[in-house]
Amino acid sequence: MMLASLLFPLLFAGDTKPGPTPNLLAIRVGKAETIAKGTIEHAVILIENGKIVTIGEDLPIERGIPVLDRPDWVVMPGLVNAYSRLGLDSEGGDDMSAEVKASAELYAAAEDFQEVVKYGVTTLGLYPAGNGVPGQACAIRPLGKSKEELLLADGCYLKMISRATPSAKKLFQDGFKKADEYADKEKKAREKFDKDKKGKKDDKKEEKKEEPKTSANAPKQADAVEIEGAAARAQGEAAAQEPAAAEDPKPDEKKDDGFVPPEPEPKAKPWVDLRSGKLRGLVSINNAAEYVHFQDAIGKETFSWDLRLVVQRESDIFYVLDKQCYDLEYDGIGDKKCRVVMEPVLSVTPGTMRNRNLALELSKAGAKIVFIPRNDTLQNAKNWLANVGEMVGASLDRNVALRAVTLEPAELLGVEKRVGSLEKGKDANLLFYSGDPLEPTSKLQAVMLDGRFVHGEVKL
Amino acid sequence: MISTNRIERFVVGALLALLAFPVTGHAWQEGDEKKDESADKKKEEPDKWFVVKNAEIHTGTGSVLRDAMLVAKNGKIDEIGHDLDVPPDAKVLDAQGLRVYPGLVAISSAGLVGQATSDFGDTVNPFNSNMILGLATGITTTGIGNAAVKLKRFSIKDLVVRDRIFSVFSWSARNPSGKRSLREKFQSASAYLRDYRAWEEKVKKDKELKEPQKKNVDTTVLAVLKGESTAKFNANERDDLLGIAHLAQEFGFRPVIEGCVEGWTVADELGRAGAMAIVTPRDRRPKDEALVRDGGSSIENAAILHRSGVAVAVVPGTESVDLGGLVGRDIMHLPIEAGFAIRGGLPEDAGLASITTTSARILGVQHRVGSLEVGKDCDLIVVDKDLLHYEAFVQWTVIDGKVVYDKQKELYFAHIRPRADAPAEPKKLDKGETEPKPDADKPKEGEEPKDGEKKGDEKKNGEGDGEKKGG
Repeated sequence: MMLASLLFPLLFAGDTKPGPTPNLLAIRVGKAETIAKGTIEHAVILIENGKIVTIGEDLPIERGIPVLDRPDWVVMPGLVNAYSRLGLDSEGGDDMSAEVKASAELYAAAEDFQEVVKYGVTTLGLYPAGNGVPGQACAIRPLGKSKEELLLADGCYLKMISRATPSAKKLFQDGFKKADEYADKEKKAREKFDKDKKGKKDDKKEEKKEEPKTSANAPKQADAVEIEGAAARAQGEAAAQEPAAAEDPKPDEKKDDGFVPPEPEPKAKPWVDLRSGKLRGLVSINNAAEYVHFQDAIGKETFSWDLRLVVQRESDIFYVLDKQCYDLEYDGIGDKKCRVVMEPVLSVTPGTMRNRNLALELSKAGAKIVFIPRNDTLQNAKNWLANVGEMVGASLDRNVALRAVTLEPAELLGVEKRVGSLEKGKDANLLFYSGDPLEPTSKLQAVMLDGRFVHGEVKL
Repeated sequence: MISTNRIERFVVGALLALLAFPVTGHAWQEGDEKKDESADKKKEEPDKWFVVKNAEIHTGTGSVLRDAMLVAKNGKIDEIGHDLDVPPDAKVLDAQGLRVYPGLVAISSAGLVGQATSDFGDTVNPFNSNMILGLATGITTTGIGNAAVKLKRFSIKDLVVRDRIFSVFSWSARNPSGKRSLREKFQSASAYLRDYRAWEEKVKKDKELKEPQKKNVDTTVLAVLKGESTAKFNANERDDLLGIAHLAQEFGFRPVIEGCVEGWTVADELGRAGAMAIVTPRDRRPKDEALVRDGGSSIENAAILHRSGVAVAVVPGTESVDLGGLVGRDIMHLPIEAGFAIRGGLPEDAGLASITTTSARILGVQHRVGSLEVGKDCDLIVVDKDLLHYEAFVQWTVIDGKVVYDKQKELYFAHIRPRADAPAEPKKLDKGETEPKPDADKPKEGEEPKDGEKKGDEKKNGEGDGEKKGG
C-alpha cells in the first residue's frame, strides 16, 4: 500500500497504455449506474484486491488512499456478452452433443479476447458451435494467462436449437429419454440399496425400529419389495409397517441414509442436470412457430430454460408473447417470464415497413431481456452499447436496457454473484464513460477489469 | 333438395357415429386411472361456446336461413336456427347484415401452412402471413401434399383432417405401356380382392384354409379398390378421359380427374363412370385442328360436366395465395374462380358447392367440413356480400369455433371498404411503438369480446387519434 502510493505518480505519467493500478483505490465520479440499486450521484467506489469494497454517495475517503477523481464521468459495470463465439474457431456437428463444453476450445492468448476488453466487454459467455444440441457454454473473463485463469464458470447453459422439423423436435425428446433411462437406473439402484439395507437390519433383528426406505417417488415399487421380503417376517410387523410406509418421507431426509446414486453416462448427464435444475437450457428460435414447436416438443417436461431469439427483420414473435392475446395452446414467452437473448435491433411487422421494438414488447409482456451485439464480431462489440441506446431511443426502458447488457446476462451465465453490477463484494469490472453510456456522444474513457485498468488513459 | 339434404345429414350422422364409437370404445377399455384423469380434465375445462347471431346463414346444403343463429360447442356446430339460447359465457359474433357461409375447402394450395408438405404437426407455421391471406380468401381447409389440413392459426394441434387421401396414377395416350401396366395392376388387384373375399367367407367354416397370395399385387391399386384411398388422375385430353372412365367402370371405382379440360366433350361418359372433376374454368387450351371432333377448353366445361352428373370442384390457376404481382393473386382465388364457372353456365348452388361440399367430398373430409350442419366442425366465414360477387370481402373467418381472421385487425384489406364498427387503420400495429396504455376493459358490441379484448381497446384509442387528426 505504501509502496503503491509512493509509486503511482511515476506510473501514471501520461502513458496511453494503462500501467499497474494500485491495489487499493478510491474512485469519485459524477454518477454510477449500479444496475442492482439504481443510479448513485456523486458516487464513491472503494476498490481493494480487485473487488468492490464499498460504494455510495459522497462517501468520505480516508487520507492516503489514491483517488481517481472524475466528476464528469459516469461509471457502470463491465458489459457481459452471454452469447458469443469470439476467440473460438472450432466447428460443431448437426447432432446431439449435449456433453460438449465450449471451455474445451478456450485459448487464453486469443487476440479477440485482448481486443474485446477495449470495448468494455469484461465477461464473455462462450457457447459451442453446431446445430441440434451442440453443448454447454462457459463464462470467462477475457484476460488471463491460462485457461483456468480465464474461466469464471463452466456448464452455464445448454444450447439447444429448436426448429419446426420432426428431427429437431425428436432430438429434445431423445435427450430426455436418456434422463428417463437414468431415472430408471437410479430407481433400481435405490431399490437394491434399500433391500440390502433391510436385509442387514433383518439380520440384526432390529425390526421394531425399522423405518421404511421407500423412495418418495416410487412408494408402490417399494411396497412390492416389502411384500417379497414379507415371507420372512411375521405378519404383525408387516401390519405395523404399513402406516409408516404411507407417510410420505421427504426426499431431503433420504439423502442422509448413505445412498449414492449411480453416475449418469456422459451423454445422459446434461439431460439429468437439466431436469434436476443444475443446468439451464438456452433454446434458440427464429420465429413464433419455432417457439410453439419447442413447447410441443418438450410437452410436460419441466426444466428451466431461456430463449435465444434471432431477431429477423420481419419477426412474428409478437404472436407468442401472451397466451391470452391470441388464445394460444401454450404459455407465451411473457407468461414464462424467461430471459430472451436478442440483438438490439428494431424489426418490422411482416409485410410492412412499420417498425416494432420487440425488446420493448417482450419486456412489457414479462420477459427479461439479454442483449448481445448485433453480430458476433469485434466491430459490433464496439457499437454494442450505441445500438442498445437506439433501443432506448425507441422507448425501451433505460434500466431494462442497462440491465440487459450487465446483470441479466450475468444471471444467465450464473455468475451474478461476481459480475454484472456495482455492489459490495463484486469483482471490480468498471467502465468509465465521459457521459451517459447510452448517449452516442459519450466516449469510453477507461476499462477496469478485476480492479486493474486494462484500457484507457488514466491519471490519478 | 330437402330429401337429399336429409340423406346427407343421415349419412353424416352415421359417419360421425361410426367415428365416435371406436374412440369411446377404446377409452372405455383403458384403465380406471386414466378414465378418472380425463373426467377430471373435462370438469376443469368448461365448454367453449361460440355464437353467430343476426346472420343470413348459407348452410351450403341448399338452404338459406335469414336472421338466424348458429351455436357451436367446443368447436362443433351444436345448433342452427332462430331464437336459440345463448349460453352465458359464449363468444358472440354479431353478423347483422352479413352472410355466413361454410369455410371454403381448397383442393390444393401452396404455402398456406409454411413450407410443410408432410408431418404437419411438427412442421406447420401457424403464424405465417400466407395463412392470413388464405383465411382472408375464406379458405379454412386445404389439400396439401396428400393430406387435408385446416388453417388453424396460432395452433399446431389437430390440424390434419385426413391423410393419405389419393393414390395418384398416370393415364396418357403418350405412354401406352404405362396404360397397359396400370390396367394389369387393376386386374391382378381385383382378382386378388375377389379371392380374398371368397376366402374370408370360407375361412369361417374351414379354419385351415390358406389366405390367397398377395404377391405382385399393387398396394396402392388395392387401396383404391378397397375404397381406402381415392384414385386421382391428371388428364385433360378427350381420349385419356375416356380411357379413365372405362377403366373406372370396369373395375368399379370413382376416379378424381384433375384438369379435365376437354371433359365437356365426353361429359356423359365421365358422368356414367361416377367421375369427379377438379377444373380451372379459366384454363385455356386450343383445339387440335387436325382432329374433326370437339376439343380444347370451354368456359362451359364445369356447367356441362355438372349437368352430366360429374361432381365438379374448382381450383384457381395458381396454388399460392399472396399479394405478389398485380393487385394481388388473392382476388383470383376460389370464389372468383367459381364465379367464372357460373359465368359458363354452372348453377349458382353448384358453384358454391364446387368450393365447399364437393371439394370436401373429393378430399374425403365431407363428414367434418364443407357445409354448416349440426355435428360438423364450426368452420365458417362471414362475408359482407354474396360470396361469389367480386366485391365481397371475408370479414371474419372462424375455425373450430374460434375467430382466426378479422379483416379489420389484419393489415391487408382493412383499409378497403372498412367495416362500420372498425377504424380505418388497425391500431394493433403500433403495439411495439410508444402507445398509451389501453384503458379499462370495455368489451365492444358486435365483436368477439375476449379474443380481441386488448386490440378492441387499442382500436378505441385509434378512433380517438383519428378524431384528433380530423379536428
